[in-house]
Amino acid sequence: MHNPFCDFQSYQYKQSREIPLDRIIQSKRKTMEEIIEGYLKLSEKEVKEMVWLVEHSRIVKAYSAAMETVKNLDYDSDDIEEFCHELDKGGKIPYLISGPAGIYVSALCNNAKEPELHLKLFELKRTFHFLGYRLPEGKSLVLEGSVGDFIGTGLSGGRLVVEGSAGNWTGAGMVKGEIVVREHTGQNTGEWMKGGVIRVGGHIRGIGKSLSGGTIYQRERTVFPDEKDAGSASTSGPTTA
Amino acid sequence: MSNDGQNRDFDSLLRRIWGEVRKKHFYPELARPQADDQLDDSVALEIKSKRIAVNRAFLDEMSRNLPMETVLEALLDHGVTHYTYCPWDFHTHLQLYQEAKRILGDKDMAQKSSDYFMDVVADTHCYKTKDTPLPELYRNLGGGELDQVMQALYQRIWGEDLGAGAEHEEVSRKLSRVPYLDRGSWVESINRFSKIIQVLLEAERDSGELDKPNPMGQSDFSRYSSEELSEGLKEFAMSSGEPGRFREVVGDFEEELSDLGLMSSSGMGEGAGSPLDADLLYYMKLAENYSIPVRKTPLEKSGDQYPYGHTPWEAGKPYRDIDPWTSFGKIMPGVTQIWERREGETHGEEESTPNCIVMIDSSGSMVNPKQYLSYAVLGAACASDAYLRNSASVGVYNFSDVEAGGRRLLDFSRKRRDIYESLCHYFGGGTRLDMTDIETFRDEKGSDVFLITDMQITNLETLIEYLSSMPNRITAVHIGENEHVRRFKTRLQKRSNLSIYSIQKKEDIPRIVLGKVREYLGRV
Amino acid sequence: MSSQNGALHARVRDIYGFIQQNLYLNRPDLTVGEERFNSALLFSLLTALNRGKQIIIGEPGLGKTTSAEYICALTYRFPLGLIWASEVSGHPEQTEEKIIGRPDLGRLNMGEEVVVWSYFAQLPVKIVDELNRLPETKQSMILNGVDRGNWEYLNDVIINEEYCLFATANYQDRGTNTIIPPMIDRFDVMVESRHPGANIALEIGMKDRYDSILRDRGFERSFKELLLARRDYDEKVEDIERKSEEFGERMADVLEIAMLSREDRRRIRAAMADIPFDLDANAFLRTVIAELSFCCKFGQKRSEEDCDEGCHYTNFLCYHLANCVSNRFPISVRTYSQALAWMMGETEVSVEHVKAVLPYTLAHRVQWKDDYVFQKQTATRRDPLQIYMARQAVSEIYRRYNEQNHHIKSALAAAYHVYNGEEVEPVEGDHPIYAEIRRDLEERS
Repeated sequence: MHNPFCDFQSYQYKQSREIPLDRIIQSKRKTMEEIIEGYLKLSEKEVKEMVWLVEHSRIVKAYSAAMETVKNLDYDSDDIEEFCHELDKGGKIPYLISGPAGIYVSALCNNAKEPELHLKLFELKRTFHFLGYRLPEGKSLVLEGSVGDFIGTGLSGGRLVVEGSAGNWTGAGMVKGEIVVREHTGQNTGEWMKGGVIRVGGHIRGIGKSLSGGTIYQRERTVFPDEKDAGSASTSGPTTA
Repeated sequence: MSNDGQNRDFDSLLRRIWGEVRKKHFYPELARPQADDQLDDSVALEIKSKRIAVNRAFLDEMSRNLPMETVLEALLDHGVTHYTYCPWDFHTHLQLYQEAKRILGDKDMAQKSSDYFMDVVADTHCYKTKDTPLPELYRNLGGGELDQVMQALYQRIWGEDLGAGAEHEEVSRKLSRVPYLDRGSWVESINRFSKIIQVLLEAERDSGELDKPNPMGQSDFSRYSSEELSEGLKEFAMSSGEPGRFREVVGDFEEELSDLGLMSSSGMGEGAGSPLDADLLYYMKLAENYSIPVRKTPLEKSGDQYPYGHTPWEAGKPYRDIDPWTSFGKIMPGVTQIWERREGETHGEEESTPNCIVMIDSSGSMVNPKQYLSYAVLGAACASDAYLRNSASVGVYNFSDVEAGGRRLLDFSRKRRDIYESLCHYFGGGTRLDMTDIETFRDEKGSDVFLITDMQITNLETLIEYLSSMPNRITAVHIGENEHVRRFKTRLQKRSNLSIYSIQKKEDIPRIVLGKVREYLGRV
Repeated sequence: MSSQNGALHARVRDIYGFIQQNLYLNRPDLTVGEERFNSALLFSLLTALNRGKQIIIGEPGLGKTTSAEYICALTYRFPLGLIWASEVSGHPEQTEEKIIGRPDLGRLNMGEEVVVWSYFAQLPVKIVDELNRLPETKQSMILNGVDRGNWEYLNDVIINEEYCLFATANYQDRGTNTIIPPMIDRFDVMVESRHPGANIALEIGMKDRYDSILRDRGFERSFKELLLARRDYDEKVEDIERKSEEFGERMADVLEIAMLSREDRRRIRAAMADIPFDLDANAFLRTVIAELSFCCKFGQKRSEEDCDEGCHYTNFLCYHLANCVSNRFPISVRTYSQALAWMMGETEVSVEHVKAVLPYTLAHRVQWKDDYVFQKQTATRRDPLQIYMARQAVSEIYRRYNEQNHHIKSALAAAYHVYNGEEVEPVEGDHPIYAEIRRDLEERS
């Protein structure tokens, strides 16, 4: 039978020119796949039956596992922001549990090469918890948009700025460093704080009850330690603007 | 050489280069480009109504460093790729602008961002797939800060040395990560693109340089034909999902669209037409996506007999239908043929379509059509359009709490604008009808009735009794299920002239409405 | 282009120009390259040269029939009066005897069956006026003649070796029928004869009819005598050609325009047929056919089968079609693309020629699903809906081809080698053409 393609017998397939953009996008996609794969493995390991309880030991374990994964990845701050968008979109990521997700993002931030990171999260539908977890000294993380609970938990010397509001338990257990929240924070702000500074530009719904160090400012005013009890290790009651 | 001579040379060059560019791009349907001396000195080209105009002064300036053919070819490659690849159509253009505006919050910044984004997409696609001298052009183009950033970006993503300095390294690095050639991600890509250059745009705005023209031409609406604009608006109404999102974008360009005649109700026998607001335009365009075809004249037996074929004549049959030709002039059995006649089937008289009274509930329990997509308004609009296209008139009874003045009546009309204005009006009050209002729609032939409501009507009983007594064809469309609906159905579902549709998903309204209207109108 | 071919080309252009300037006044509405043409006139000319079949639609009184008459007169060298006499008009009382031929009654009385063939059957130019007023049974009667140029009556047959056919049709109104599908598919192209606009219409109204310049009573009588002569048809054909040569010479003196002889037309057709398709035109046409005939669920499009929503190819045209495009379609596209390329003086058929021709060869052959018609019918346009939708469809496929042309051609090239049994990796992609290539490779013997 006659070959119906004979008109094309001498057509030479010329690859359309490969340009650096192709390589950049390919590399970026590969990186994102690796990051997502790392997150999915973490989720699978950490989350039993879609429930993840906020317990200190669990958080520490999850963070260690996340750091173990991310240390082998080659990425930059733009990848982290894009990963947050992928988490929000949900297409490639079948389920999102805010705790492990936030811890994973924190691990990515802490392990990133850049000392200064800027994540634009203002248009995300979801809020992430545990962002800025154990942010180390020498690192600065700016989060544009409002964020969830446990922001800056265990801060370890870094500078965390939230260009929006933060949820409950902001700065919980922070050791040193600075957290700046431009708008409001929720309940239990600074709970278990050992050191460092939290500056809140708007309202504070409630201060934690077990702070052992550090300072919390609401606008220009020091709300912890209470001015009357300056020098005392105990807290005053919750302060609202 | 004299001016005429120079002009002739240039024309001849332009013709030659255009022929090559056309072939390269598979013969786009664009008119031959022209030289235009009226353009701003710093602008290389403009595209208006599918014709590229190149700036002669710009070309002369650039040809100090580059051969004229090179500059011309690069500019034409750029212009043609905008037509054949990005933005391709007006709908895409609007979607890109919408996303840029969402990020940047400012019309001028959003326009500039979408212009530059489309340039990057078009030029990169052209660079990748065709043999083009665009890099040479960009190497010599110059321009403001943003242009230099673009130059650095091209240098990075094309892998060509365009002479860009290191000062834009970081921003061009971020920009290079955007997948410009992935058409499916363009909306997401312009989101990221806009975020990255936001700081630069704000700086330009603050220094008053934002309105400085893009040397590679502005992507304004005049590049599209009026058919393309109209079609684009229709598609955009579908894709924007909500009247607010449509309004925001269309509202930004109300002046430009008005100048092009797209924001008026002209063409409906109203002369120059009066301006439409964006919400009306939204529902009008959206309803166009669901239109019903004009009913063709139905086939019917005509009643006339016409010669159909021949059958043998038999002795005893009458002579009158004998065909002398086929009978060879003979009258004898076995030879003679008679005509068999049959009733013809032709296109018959078109029945006239009755008028329609559209009753639409705009009480507080219904969605405000200006804030959210009201499928009730959409369904009513689709039904109205269907009747209008079949040469009928539509009357509108928009009701809320009638006793408190919440009623709007429009007598039978064929003016689409008036009908839509009545449909889109939102009272947001209680729900109480006055049946005597319906009496005001006088129609000797009897009209169809379309009722769209959630049935949470205070005087539902009165309505039920009234509808029971109406001989007209009635379609009642209700949203959701509640006890009022159950009562309505129980009392009325057995009536042969009344159809009740329960909408579980709001998306069903246009389909249901059209299905019933199709039946009524005898769609072919 | 050879000098002989060049001379013929110039003459055809002259004929077009002459009709456009003097006889069929209308706006150009089709751009090919950098030239603007009136589509009805251009395609009529190509149909006449190509032995094609054309259906011309339009409102009454807008020159549907007259455009065809002028083209036929000038390209075949017949006086206008003869063409008028040979036209078949569509009405319910038409019979085979009026259209095709009748018995010679005198000879019949002497016991001999001899057919008197109609002018319509004998002449190489055929015009059926208002085809859709013929009842469907009558349309079936002329199907064979329309298709192959065979005209049978009383066990006798004449075969037109060269003919072109024009059929006009008004839009549907009281008194019209539908054109049966087997008939409509046999037409190569459909064009609309449009209103020329107020200004040109006034010019037409103010002028006396000019077409009398194409009439000559003496020649008309001579032709009729020839056609009525009781002689072998093949001999008559030669006589007709000689007579038309005389008429052509006369017209050349009066009108200063050279008409075309049979030999000229044969050379033109040969030159057209020799014009090859470039690879892109070839690949583009395959892409078009694939998108108009493919169905991933049922193997091919069929009128009685409706594919689901959510099919992978929902965004392609195959999803919006209710029927499958026939094999006559690529034949029409090929012949008219070659004709157009020849008309433009090109040595190859390019995508541009194919794109220009496609809407007119496709419009009458596709049936779109209602929903798709709904979406398109309210669009602002200048074409009638059928041609507009065909044009939009072509535009869509063209865009896809523009983006993927490399890939498609590579797929076809790879398929050539795979088909021959070579170890080559087939090229995959997301378009019906790739699926069709894959299927051809899987099902080859």
